[in-house]
Amino acid sequence: MDELWHASYRAMVLLFSGNPGLWEIIGISFAVSLKAIVIATPAAFAAAFVLAYTRFRGRGLVMSVMNTALSLPAVVVGLTLYLLLSRSGPLGDLRLLFTQTAMTVGQVILAFPLVFVMSHSAIQAGQRSAWETALTLGASPPRAVLTVLYEVRFGLIAAVIAGFGRIVAEVGSSMMVGGNIAHFTRNIPTAIALETSKGEFAQGIALGFVLLVLAFGLNIVLTVMQRRGGIAS
Amino acid sequence: MNAALRLTDIHKHFGERRILDDVAIALESGQCHVLSGRNGAGKTTLMKILAGLERPDSTQVKLDGVARPWRQLRHTLRRDVVYLHQYAYMFDASVEDNVGYGLRAARLPAGERRARVAEALERVDLTHLAGANARTLSGGERQRVALARAWVLRPRVMLLDEPTANMDRESREQTWFLLRRLRGDQLCVVVATHDTQAIATLPDVHLHLEEGKLRRQPAGAHDPAPSPVSAAHPAATAHDPRREGRM
Repeated sequence: MDELWHASYRAMVLLFSGNPGLWEIIGISFAVSLKAIVIATPAAFAAAFVLAYTRFRGRGLVMSVMNTALSLPAVVVGLTLYLLLSRSGPLGDLRLLFTQTAMTVGQVILAFPLVFVMSHSAIQAGQRSAWETALTLGASPPRAVLTVLYEVRFGLIAAVIAGFGRIVAEVGSSMMVGGNIAHFTRNIPTAIALETSKGEFAQGIALGFVLLVLAFGLNIVLTVMQRRGGIAS
Repeated sequence: MNAALRLTDIHKHFGERRILDDVAIALESGQCHVLSGRNGAGKTTLMKILAGLERPDSTQVKLDGVARPWRQLRHTLRRDVVYLHQYAYMFDASVEDNVGYGLRAARLPAGERRARVAEALERVDLTHLAGANARTLSGGERQRVALARAWVLRPRVMLLDEPTANMDRESREQTWFLLRRLRGDQLCVVVATHDTQAIATLPDVHLHLEEGKLRRQPAGAHDPAPSPVSAAHPAATAHDPRREGRM
């Protein structure tokens, strides 16, 4: 128990003394995950809108695939990407393995289904009359799409937050395609895994604390958004 | 009388069910048309087709006797026709912003937009609620915002789908009163309603939809017994001197 308290104390010292190594890891984590969510979000919103507002053959299949992808293990995404990006793989010539770009690609694949499914639910829950009202009042289809998305914005923000929460804490994909290289691809989850395996608990606890604070903050924002969304709709 | 909109060859099926069967409709400028029919007769479907919101089965509906591809026709209809839902959808914004939505979409200068919104709000007696969130309004007030939001665009045709459904008598009468007030010389209004009082007093033209066919009835008639003449045929309009100069 003493060891835990001691490690926690050292973790707080590391965190609040502005330890450069620690904050570099946090910076890499946020840079990769923010890039991934920025890429995944517009594509997920567009796909969710098309699925919510159009009927076409295979629509049900797309929904089933996306719902299945919600429980896609990060390590499976990492393994698949590893095989694709490794030297002998079909995309080996791109030389992306063990780069932040590869980590971003993995996180985009992980975030997309969650943002898609949640935003699809939000758009479906919105009223179709919003779309028709915008069109009949002379809005162009792109403007009408933006109007509908704005009307369900709280649900969409919740989807983005949930997506970000998933990828910032994932370890499987980042470890496999990032390689956990210090100063380059080492992010919070891979650093925690490494430090724990070395018996260096202080840095692991400090980074874990950052993730906990982040998760807590995101949940508060999510709750506020969902409440506001409930009132607005 | 000028034709505001003349469409023929309208067909619509939902599965095996035939909703609209070779419907022809001629709407006259400055006239109030009441569209009656049983629940599920296809009134909403017809109105949405007229507003360019619902695609008919036939690939080429005729506008003014000329066959046009739906994509082209839809553009024309959305420009000239405004459809008001049974339960008016309010954007999550102020009353003022709701009324100005279409004007912003049309990229009108801010000054002109403000003036037209103010005029429209005055017409429906909602100036005092201009800054309120439209979603906090009562059903009757929402319907008035929807009327102002449509009227402000100066459309050729305004389609109202059961605008007084679930309203109390006072709100209903206020809606009919405002409708009369909003009608200009050229605005063509089509109201789908079951309200017998409205059917008796409102229309210049009474259209009845039954079993996929649209028929013209003597204005003010309660009896839905259809006349066998096509609604698009101008000669089918019974001349009723009582209607002249009304509204």
